[in-house]
Amino acid sequence: MRRICAYIISVVLFSGYTPVHGQDTDAPQDSVTIPLKVSFGMDVSGPVIYFTNKNILNTEAYFLYDLDHKKALHASGGYSNYKYSQYNYSYRNKGIFFKAGVDFNILKPEISGGKYWGGVGLLYGLSRFTWQVDSFSHKNYWGKHIVSMPEQSDWGHYLEVSPGFRAELLKNLSIGWSISLRKLLFTSAPKDLKPAYIPGYGSTGNAISFGMNYFITFNFAFKKIRVGIKPETPPEPEEEGGSGMGTGIIRGIM
Amino acid sequence: MRKQFVKIFSALLIIIPAFIYSCTPGSCFEETEAKVKASMYQSLSEKIVAPDSVSLFGLERDSAIYKKTSNVTSILFPLDPASGTCTFLIKINGVSDTVTFSYSSHVHFISKECGYTYYFSIEQPVTTNNIIDKIVLTKKTITTLNEENMRIYY
Repeated sequence: MRRICAYIISVVLFSGYTPVHGQDTDAPQDSVTIPLKVSFGMDVSGPVIYFTNKNILNTEAYFLYDLDHKKALHASGGYSNYKYSQYNYSYRNKGIFFKAGVDFNILKPEISGGKYWGGVGLLYGLSRFTWQVDSFSHKNYWGKHIVSMPEQSDWGHYLEVSPGFRAELLKNLSIGWSISLRKLLFTSAPKDLKPAYIPGYGSTGNAISFGMNYFITFNFAFKKIRVGIKPETPPEPEEEGGSGMGTGIIRGIM
Repeated sequence: MRKQFVKIFSALLIIIPAFIYSCTPGSCFEETEAKVKASMYQSLSEKIVAPDSVSLFGLERDSAIYKKTSNVTSILFPLDPASGTCTFLIKINGVSDTVTFSYSSHVHFISKECGYTYYFSIEQPVTTNNIIDKIVLTKKTITTLNEENMRIYY
């Protein structure tokens, strides 16, 4: 169910994308007006996943402040409540997390036009959480042994790289998605008892944690700037007497 | 060219997470029980030589860990996490000895798929000497890794 929702939202976002070319005119432009915005967004995939799986609740909201047409300050926070059980153990974890960093827009201004964002965010994350093992069963030659571990509080620090895409759906309303690649830097939990899950980070099993979010964002422009458009370099003229194969390759690249 | 690049970039950013999300949940492929791994050394040659037969029982237990097993160059001793000592009856080439371990245990998290297990820290084992000449402790921390913890010279 979770994967079906992910595919449907991806198809809707991708099919709605159309590049923007600034003002509607056929004449070549040397600059474009870009609104700088303050944005407030919230993750919608977490509540949707919780609707299908009551063991995982992830809520996240974020704030963006455009520094210029390329960079924006990013601050986000959220709450997570995670339960996992299988045949030999039952684990619970809940806590809050905060992330701060910078989002970089790699779309050219004449393409983004202040309506589209395609780029990558670099964030530092901090998580404060409690976890406990309600029961853990160990069976061997000597018999079955069941114990539990009481609630413990710990911290987690991590780095996140999150490429993504946002598109303006209506005035002041955007939707978008991002994938997250996270690297755990430090956890205060003992070496032998690394938490199975860290809020904001995800499962700790692999060296890198993957995640995906879908956002709905409210944008408010506070300033407009003019950004120059770099003129395209004209194609080099064909060399007379050159091989046909070489010329064909250059044409394909241009 | 720019339109094509942006469309390809956007498509990749959709396809890659779709692949990641389509992966099935992991299974546990790791060893989940920590056992004492003892290599069998012949005292005369001081080389690893498998006894003709090995049997291993926990003291006052009916079931055998090894029952007249041949070609065994490494014996695995399971420890009881609910106790601080374990005694085994080991029969090498038909001659019996007892081996007693004293140890402390602590819980260790393997992975989300495998869950938790116990690791141990053992002291020098105590043995009778009917066929066992000596036991040399090489690594006192008992983990799920496949590494030698002690050598039994017989």
